[in-house]
Amino acid sequence: MPKDDPETAALKKELNDIIAKAKAEQEKVADAKLAEKCGDMADVPKIRLITKKTLKGHINKVNSVHYSGDSRHCVTGSLDGKLIIWDTWSGNKVQVIPLRSAWVMSVAFAPSGNFVACGGMDNMCTVYDVNNRDATGSAKMVRELAGYEGFLSSCRFLDDTHILTGSGDMKICVWDLEVGKREVEFDAHAGDVVTISLAPDMKTYVTGSVDKTCKLWDVRAEKEKQTFFGHEADVNSVCYHPSGQAFATASEDKTARLFDIRSDQQLGHYTPPGASGFTSCGLSVSGRYLLAGSDDNTVHSWDTLKVAHTGTLNGHENRVTSISLAPSGIALASCSWDQGVRVWG
Amino acid sequence: MVTMNSSEKAQKACQQGPSRDTTKSTKDDKDKKDKDTMIANLPPSVQALMSTIPSPEESPNYLVYKKMEAIIEKMQDETTGVPVRTVKSFMTKIPSVFTGSDLVSWLSRHLSLEESWESLHLAHLLAAHGYLFPIDDHCLTVRNDNTYYRFQTPYFWPSNQWEPENTDYAVYLCKRTMQNKARLELADYEAESLARLQKMFSRKWEFIFMQAEAQSKVDKKRDKLERKVLDSQERAFWDVHRPMPGCVNTTEMDPKKLSRINAIKAKRLRQCQELILQHNLKNNPIVTITNAQESEEAIQKNIEKNNESSIKENGETSQTQPETIEVEKTIEQQIEAAKRQLSVLKARMERRNVRVSKVAEMFISYCEQYSEYDAFLTPPEWPNPWISDTTELWDQEKQCKEPLPLRRVRRWSFGLRELLRDPPGREHFAKFLSKEFSGENLKFWLAVQELKALPIRRVSSRAKEIWKEFFAAEAPSPVNIDAASRELTRTKVESGTADRYCFDQAQAHVYHLMKSDSYSRYLRSEMYKDYLNGSKKKTSVKGIRSIVSFTGRKETSAN
Repeated sequence: MPKDDPETAALKKELNDIIAKAKAEQEKVADAKLAEKCGDMADVPKIRLITKKTLKGHINKVNSVHYSGDSRHCVTGSLDGKLIIWDTWSGNKVQVIPLRSAWVMSVAFAPSGNFVACGGMDNMCTVYDVNNRDATGSAKMVRELAGYEGFLSSCRFLDDTHILTGSGDMKICVWDLEVGKREVEFDAHAGDVVTISLAPDMKTYVTGSVDKTCKLWDVRAEKEKQTFFGHEADVNSVCYHPSGQAFATASEDKTARLFDIRSDQQLGHYTPPGASGFTSCGLSVSGRYLLAGSDDNTVHSWDTLKVAHTGTLNGHENRVTSISLAPSGIALASCSWDQGVRVWG
Repeated sequence: MVTMNSSEKAQKACQQGPSRDTTKSTKDDKDKKDKDTMIANLPPSVQALMSTIPSPEESPNYLVYKKMEAIIEKMQDETTGVPVRTVKSFMTKIPSVFTGSDLVSWLSRHLSLEESWESLHLAHLLAAHGYLFPIDDHCLTVRNDNTYYRFQTPYFWPSNQWEPENTDYAVYLCKRTMQNKARLELADYEAESLARLQKMFSRKWEFIFMQAEAQSKVDKKRDKLERKVLDSQERAFWDVHRPMPGCVNTTEMDPKKLSRINAIKAKRLRQCQELILQHNLKNNPIVTITNAQESEEAIQKNIEKNNESSIKENGETSQTQPETIEVEKTIEQQIEAAKRQLSVLKARMERRNVRVSKVAEMFISYCEQYSEYDAFLTPPEWPNPWISDTTELWDQEKQCKEPLPLRRVRRWSFGLRELLRDPPGREHFAKFLSKEFSGENLKFWLAVQELKALPIRRVSSRAKEIWKEFFAAEAPSPVNIDAASRELTRTKVESGTADRYCFDQAQAHVYHLMKSDSYSRYLRSEMYKDYLNGSKKKTSVKGIRSIVSFTGRKETSAN
């Protein structure tokens, strides 16, 4: 380190002090362990989900899946350059949207079901209108949001006119879709922002990043409200607890964790029986089950309160890249490098 | 001929295979020497920086490759290794091969593997990564019989961090087509790839063709047997990096990680190059950059800042900035980052945190309350659509006909948020409020929610409308909020720069009013109770039916 001038030295000392104080506060508040507190709860049954539908149609690895607000349709993006909107009940493809760039890393469905967005290595976020077709008969491209310096790693619709994106250039942007302009843009993390999850009341959101931290943001502000440490490797996915007071994370360090917002610390630490990194996670409607898709071709599930592994969903033949829970909680969709998408119910 | 990036050349140990590089070995050596002298001339700190360029040790599978290579080297030992010999067949000799069964038996003996399938599996993995290969097949598997296999030359080992480009592949395929047709025709997938690459590189195809010609000329000069061996090894190399469709591709990596590793490599390389150029320009012996120890964050921020500033200067590179200012900038950035972190932490210290025990209790009660609604714990009212083959579940949820299921109506009593989320709940609440003549609160709240979802250009006009409707002097539906929020909102709206969050404070106040006052009265009201009972009565029959079908389902699942 270059010779510290007094200002830097003073700052560093202050920083270290306050970090120590924050940690001490955390420990003060941690007067109980989650598993102990919930020790006298009834055991939750082992997860009994089976594949209800296999959605076949992609001809290359499927990277991302997201459910629509109606809990019936979902959109998947695959490296074959197509977005497919499925009716999960019948297994039919409602629409197939060819993309300009095949490297799609993340897809999102607007809660209203009117728009889908996708993006990836093309450093752009493209929004399509599901209800209108263009001249060639495929869904009309409404907006192409360019200007990222890194790949688009995650996007989520706030509503039909706003989309929130996180990208490999470590920034978060909010775009106004009517005009196609950036409303807000700010540096968020010290590494790629890999995942975003919106709170049920849409007032806040959580992001996870490869810098091993998760941050809580208010939709209106540019500075984070809280930072959560604890993971030892990239955080691959975050998912809000339906109560809006906590969130689950899945990470490359082969664990999934539950962080609580009000006590500002990690509550639960979930490890699988094997040892493989997790790519995505989701919580059930009551928050009791935490499901995470993993590199070992299965989806693991845990009882969040008793911190116990409750089973795995087997069926995929290659790593599970992404899972999405239906908003009504009726089903779970998972997609994998084996080119298949499965609906579990 | 497959080439390596110049940056990686500086890192390669002498892993020379057979004299493949005769055409470019002289040039290579010269390059290497130049680079070496260049490196030696640089001050030690820059050398330290250059050493931050990722060495082979950092490649993801390095340890695995080292283990495999250890086994391979034992296998290649003259006396105790796998017997490699030249086999005579019809009119030709097949040089330096060993049989699959030899390989498998050697593995089980020397690695003391107990199960027979273990050694076969291990052999298969060694082949899949490219350390040995069948001489007559593109698919890199091993069979425990008399089929012949050959070792891959160390030059082509995957631990050398090969990342061959499409141009190299194109040169290779082109060269294959120039060879004696009878011997080595292109397989179907190779022909397809060649066609595809021709389209991709149509502009520089001449160049590729020339390279292929040059290489095949060199090859022709070689001894026949040696040529066979080298050809098969090169083919095996491409089988690893451009596998036959249907075969495992061991060189695959998650594209996100790959892009990140590439980005880091590119940044480090650029940094190093900048330093070298600066050094050459300035010839300043005192280099005060000690980036080798700095955090990733600082390096990335530095590069970003440099990029930004260089863009501002109309494309001038950052070489023109004197070094001292650069160093100052780095410290400045660190100070800024530290200050930011400090403010966040200070804010955190001022917050009151809830104890974990209380939080746990909250979770428990939430789970218990909602477990009825969690489809994984309790079956929903409508039958599972995939089992019963109807879409009742979704259709019924969308409809808001009178006999709403009891569960749904009960959910409204969990909190105001649940009530407002469900459209029939909102309507019912609105009806109740209109009876009490306090409907404007809900209307205001809904209007502000709508405002938040509007596109920018309509926000300010709508905000003014909302103001007129709810807050102005003769508003048709006056809303009661405290004076402070009212003033705040008024200034924001009338300043003309209304943003979509200008009513937030007022909205929060109204929400609180509704929650504490109207909502609790609603829950105790006759209207709500009747509604509950009404749905109870109407769903009681349904309830019995659902219990019947529930047990029915249980029976079928027990089968």
